[in-house]
This record gives sequence, structure tokens and C-alpha cells, in this order.
Amino acid sequence: MSGRTPEIYVAPTEAPPSRRPPVTSIGPLGWVRANLFSSPANSIATVITLALVIWFIVSFLSWSIRSAQWGVVYNNLRLIGSGLYDRREIWRVELSTGILVLLTGLSLGIWARVARAAFVAVLVTLGIILLVPILAARIPQPTIHTLIEPRKSPSDFVFVGYKGETVRFTLTPQTDLADLDEPAIGFIEMQARAEWSTQARQARAGDLDLAAYNLVVSLRLVDKTGRTVSTPDGPAEVRFGPDAPGGELEATLPADGWYVLKVTRDDEANGERDDNEGYAWLRIDGVELFSSQEGQTATREAEFGAPPQVERPLYAEEKAYRFEGTRTFGEFINLQIAPFFERIAMPLALGAALFANGWVIGVLGKRERVVRRWTLIGWLVATPVILIILRGFGGSRALPLVSTSVWGGLLLTMLLTIVGITASFPLGVALALGRRSDLPVIKWTCTLFIETIRGVPLITILFMAKLIVPFFWSGLSNIDLTIRMMIGLTLFSAAYLAENVRGGLQIIPYGQIEAARALGLNPFLTTTFIVLPQALRAVIPAIVGQFISLFKDTSLVAVVGLFELVGIVDTIVSGQPIYRPYQREAYFFIAIVYFVISYAMSDVSRRLETSGAGSLRQ
Amino acid sequence: MGNDNSNEPIISCRDVNKWFGNFHVLKDVNLEVQPQEVVVIIGPSGSGKSTFIRCINRLEEHQEGQIIVDGIELSHDVRNIAAIRSEIGMVFQQFNLFPHLTVMQNVSLAPRYVRRQPRRNAEESALQLLARVGIPEQAHKYPGQLSGGQQQRVAIARALAMQPKIMLFDEPTSALDPEMIKEVLDVMKELAQSGMTMLVVTHEMGFAREVADRIVLFDEGRIVEMGTPEHFFTNPQHERTKLFLSQIL
Repeated sequence: MSGRTPEIYVAPTEAPPSRRPPVTSIGPLGWVRANLFSSPANSIATVITLALVIWFIVSFLSWSIRSAQWGVVYNNLRLIGSGLYDRREIWRVELSTGILVLLTGLSLGIWARVARAAFVAVLVTLGIILLVPILAARIPQPTIHTLIEPRKSPSDFVFVGYKGETVRFTLTPQTDLADLDEPAIGFIEMQARAEWSTQARQARAGDLDLAAYNLVVSLRLVDKTGRTVSTPDGPAEVRFGPDAPGGELEATLPADGWYVLKVTRDDEANGERDDNEGYAWLRIDGVELFSSQEGQTATREAEFGAPPQVERPLYAEEKAYRFEGTRTFGEFINLQIAPFFERIAMPLALGAALFANGWVIGVLGKRERVVRRWTLIGWLVATPVILIILRGFGGSRALPLVSTSVWGGLLLTMLLTIVGITASFPLGVALALGRRSDLPVIKWTCTLFIETIRGVPLITILFMAKLIVPFFWSGLSNIDLTIRMMIGLTLFSAAYLAENVRGGLQIIPYGQIEAARALGLNPFLTTTFIVLPQALRAVIPAIVGQFISLFKDTSLVAVVGLFELVGIVDTIVSGQPIYRPYQREAYFFIAIVYFVISYAMSDVSRRLETSGAGSLRQ
Repeated sequence: MGNDNSNEPIISCRDVNKWFGNFHVLKDVNLEVQPQEVVVIIGPSGSGKSTFIRCINRLEEHQEGQIIVDGIELSHDVRNIAAIRSEIGMVFQQFNLFPHLTVMQNVSLAPRYVRRQPRRNAEESALQLLARVGIPEQAHKYPGQLSGGQQQRVAIARALAMQPKIMLFDEPTSALDPEMIKEVLDVMKELAQSGMTMLVVTHEMGFAREVADRIVLFDEGRIVEMGTPEHFFTNPQHERTKLFLSQIL
């Protein structure tokens, strides 16, 4: 009754104050309720999806931390980066990359100012990458396990030690059959594992008498000159066997340099080679591993001289530490992540410095218009300049010719992409305008071109560029295959871009063109200042999508015999036998590379769409 | 204000005919406009009044008859069209501002690239024009951030930036909220008082009565009646005029 509307109502002069909405409809709790558990079906979907995502992440992390071998990536970074590009001329690759990074930083600073978050993300990532090698040094060195077997001369263990470091060697006799079932520790070589399994089977079958264990092993730690290292308890040597069970050899190193752990089986020393029965694990702690690649070995040799010559050396290199079992997180950081970050830290730091430099100039530049103009000119000039720097000239001393056939890896992928983007964009815009032209001949030609290209798979176009085009005009066969691929990719991308741009042109209201005309703007000015800026902005997502496609499509040139990212990884895992088992790691790595770059591109596109300058917010 | 031979009409249309396909939109339209004259064109929708003023700066082409603007006859000659368009400013019903450019850029674009004025000069005069239409503080906003009335005033400033001799208004207030119509009409009144030659298609009878030198009524593609506001509002002759006025007043 009291709710009855009165005949006449006049609101008070003061409007009531605004109140806060109920707690359950705002904040994180409100969000979760409204979005994740709004209905029974939604709740079920949320739970199932979350479970799947968590399962996927956990299994992936578990694989990559506990058992993946990332050496195939960090030992081949140069190949993955620039392919077979002449090593002595690698500065040209670095210079080109520097130019591109600087321009990218500038452009992001100028056109996507909101990219502050992106900038911070770059810095944080860089910080982590620089920190990891430092932190890795504080994580205990990994443990190495090596197997001492009957009827096989054990290797001597060669390593670099530093003054004051403590190294520990432990020998564990393998006398228990139960131990044989689960050798959850590392091996030196793959065949060792195979052999171990054979022995284990024999033992289980009763062919091997573990009770007859009589293995006696002596360990002696010597320095480079062959002198036994002395410890407070006397010389660093120890003997293991049934008569001297257990125990370990521990020594504090007196100086920096090479050391050798001499491993001798007693029966061998006495000349009775086949006398001893039984197995033992030699466990090595506190020794720093180094990469078997030329870089680190060379550094060590420059510092400490050549390693001592021994008959059967087992170097403290990462190959000694090839896991078949699980590994701890510390070991993962130490052996898989740290070497990778160590290798990319320096170039990345330089790159980030350049990027930041460009970004700061772009954002803070006092004479914005000048900076902007020069950045545009820089982009226009950069591509041809970089191609010239990288290719050089025949007969030139400063820039000798580096054939495009040795360009490869990420370098080639990025070049194909950048050339493709910078060339196909204007071509695509021209085709789109041409297709809307009032002149029938131009219109038909553009339409025919676009529809033909769109009707043919990219791989066909690439093969045509490689095989068929030179038939029509023999002059074309002189053009590098790489250049022909660039042309093929450009034409392909341009046709698709043209359709995207045409979509943008169609949404421009006719009133815009009329207004421009009424102001006296001629068709060229109208297109340049009124139609294209709006049309292109409206289709930024589609255009960037096309660029991302182009970036990923560059992988198809591997099929016609170029070694871009996919091609080079193919070569690595098929051409270097030691990396053959690690295809998963290699392909996974380049998948990440593709993803990171694609995501960065789409992120920038999203920022451009919403950034203040000329956004279409009405 | 400053036109020497003020007896010469600045716009002269003789027997103008136009068709959209088979539809006869303009039928033998004859109209002369003197310099500094304000002509208001009224009429029901579909009567051809918008088409007519769009013919004057050749956004539409007429097929028969003559249109002479400031001594230049409109023909297919591209140079003619450019010369005439730079003499004529136009304001549209839907404003048609360029949404990707700031207010300042909207106003200074044509002077910079058509008249080739230096950026500085173009922007200085743009600021003066924005002050004249009452929104100097909005210079660096985008059109989407302004109210409809403000947008239409920017559109007027944009047209004035080319220093036209004639201004065409195509229903400039029809797309505005009632609260904003007055601010646009005030600018137009000020413009009329300053001596601008204006052709205004509108439904604002108050404006017509107060500002117009002449009112023209269009119906079915032809001019039905033409005369001073006094004549129109006190003593209309044609039956169609009486009917039209009775419907909108």
C-alpha cells in the first residue's frame, strides 16, 4: 500500500549520493562467481578445464626439468641463430640485428607508448637471464656416477678444480641384487646402460654370481704433473674392496688447474686381468662440468693449458652427465638452463640495451616529429641496407661476398619475414586500391592476380619460384634461391593482405570521401590522408594476422632446401648423431621461438589498436 | 563586405536537371544567389533540396542545364571542379569529421595540403577558427570525444579554414540532440552576419525567419515558391507551401 505511486512526484533538489555495489558483485570474489561458477555447467567446465591445464603444465615441466636434454639447443645456438653464415663475418649478422633491434625499440616507444609494460617485461626477463648463471654458481655441483665393471679398464677422470674447493669420490660396491633393478642414476655413455641391463639380466638369471664379489679398486688424485695431491690426512689415495670396504676419498684442492683421478682395478694392476668379479659405482661430487663445445674447452685450455694426457680419459664435461634417470631442480638449472643463459646473456644484454635506448628516445624524444620521420626512413632503408651488409660484394675486401645459400637459422627466418612484410604491405595496399579502381583494366588485372595467388598453395608457389620460373626466363635462374623465395613469399602475402585491406576500405563511410572532396582534396590526398589511415587501422588485427602467418609460413622454405629455423634444426638432429635422440627438445625449442615472436607481434597489434593516436573510439 | 561587383550573382543555376537512374530528381531548377546572401532551402524529404546543393560543389553531377559559381561553369573538367570546391565550404548532416585526426588536424589538413600553407600558419588560423566557433580548448581532442554540437562546430571551422566564398549547409542540425541545436545555429548566425554567402538546407524555421534573406521551398524536384521570410510566413501563395508550413509550424 505504501508503495503506491503518488499522482504527482517531485524529486528532491539534491540527487542521492552514489553508493558502492554489493560486495558479492565486485572484486575477485564477484569475478570468480560471475565467470567461473555461474551455473552447474559452468562449474563443471571450469573444473575439467583447470584439471587438464594443470595436468598438461605439470607433465611438461616434469619432462623438461627431470629428463629433457637441452644441450641440443644450447650447443647449437650459433647454427640456430645464423645457420652456416661465415663465422669470420658474423659481425655483419650482429650489426644487422642491432639495427633492427634499435628500430624496433624506437618504433615501440613512438607508436605504442602504452608498451611500458612490455618494456618492463623485457627488462625483467633480461634480469632473470643474467641472474641465472650467477645463481647457478651457488647451487651444488651435480653428482657424476660412473660404473666400474669387470673385464673393462676403468677411465681416469679429468677435471678442472679451483683452489680451496672440496671434491669427494665415493665408491659403492654393487653387491645387492635389489640395487640392480633400479639404477636410477646417471651413466657415462649410452652403451654403459645397455651393458648394465645385460649384466642385470644375467644376475637375475643366475649367470652372474654377485656373492663372488671380489672387486678391489684404488683411487688416487693427482695434479697435472702427476704428483699425488696431499690432504691433512696424508696423500689423497684410497683403496676399496672386500678387505677395505666403504669409505670415500675427500680432498681440498691446493691450486687452480687440471686434476686427474686415477682409477685402477687391482687385478689389472697385478696383470691378472679377468680375476675380479662384481660392479661398483664411482660417485663424484663437487666438480664443475664444462661444455664439450669448442668455446668453453678453449677457455679452459687458455687458462690452464692443455689437459693432461691419460690413456682413457673421462672428461668432466657435460657428456659425462647424460641422464637416463631423474634429475633434481638444482641439477636442471646447473646443467641445462645456466649454460643456455650464459651463452645468450651477453648478446641479449647488448640487444636489450639497444632496444631500451631506442625506446627511451622514442618516448622521451623532445622533437617527436623528427624522431618519428627518421624512424620511418630508417625502416624503409634498413631492409635493403641489411641485405647488402649480409650479402656483401664479390671481390670486396671490407664486405666479401657471403652467398645467401649459407644464410640460415633465425637470421634467415627473420629476413624472409621482414622482407616479406615490408615488400608485401605496399604491394597489398596497391592491389586492394587497384581492385576498387574505376578503370576496368586495372581492376581486372588486380583481381586476376589476387584470385590466382589465393587459389594456389604457398608450397606450390615456392616450388614454382625454384623450378619453373627459370624455364620461362633463363635470366631468373641467376637470382639466388633465397631471393626467389623472398619474392614468392611476398607475392603470396600481398594477395592475402590485399583482401584484408579491401575489407578495411569497404567500411569507410562514403561521407568521409565526400567531406574530403568538398574540402578540395584530390583523390590521391583523400586516399593517403583520409581513407587509408582509417581503413588500415580498422583491419590491423587481420593485417598483423597475415604477418604472423607469413612469419610462420617461412618455415616452408625448408622444403625447397633453405636452412631457416626448421631447416637448420632438421639438419642438426639428422646430421649430428649425438643429437639424434633429442629431436623433441630441438623442435620444442623452435616452437617456443616461433610462439614468442608471434605473440609479441599480436600483442603490439593489440596495443596499436587501442592506443590513443587516432584510435577509432567514437 | 568587400565584393566589388555585387550585382553579379555568385551562384547562378539555369534549368538544372538531374536524374538518379530513371528518377527525375531536379526539374528545371533556376536560382541565382547574390554575394553575402543567405538562402534557406526548405521542403519535404525527398524533394531534391540536398541533391541540389550537392550539385553546387559537384558532389553530384547534373545532366542538363548550367551551374556557374563565381564565374566558373561546372563541367567535367577536373581543374574546374578543384577550383570551385576550394571556393565552397560544406557542412554535412552527419558532420563527417575525420575520426582518426584531432580537431586541429581536421581543421588544418586541407589548408596544409591543398593550399600548401606551412604547418605553423595553418595551425594558427585553425586555432583562430576554433575560437570563432567557441571551442578553442578542444583542439587536441579527437572528434569521438566531443558532443554532437561541438563536432558540428568543428565541421564548420574545417570548412571555413579554406576561406571559402560560399558555405553550403546540408541539414546541419538534423542529427543533433535538441539541447545542442542552438549552439550550432548561433555559430551560423554569426557567420551570416559577417557577410558569408550561405545556402542552408534546414528544418529550423526559427533560423530561417531570423537569418534568411530568401527562403526557397522545394517539392518534387522543383522550386515551388521563393521569397523573403515575411512573404513566406505571413503570405504564402502556393497551396503546397501552405500545406508544408501548416505541417511543420
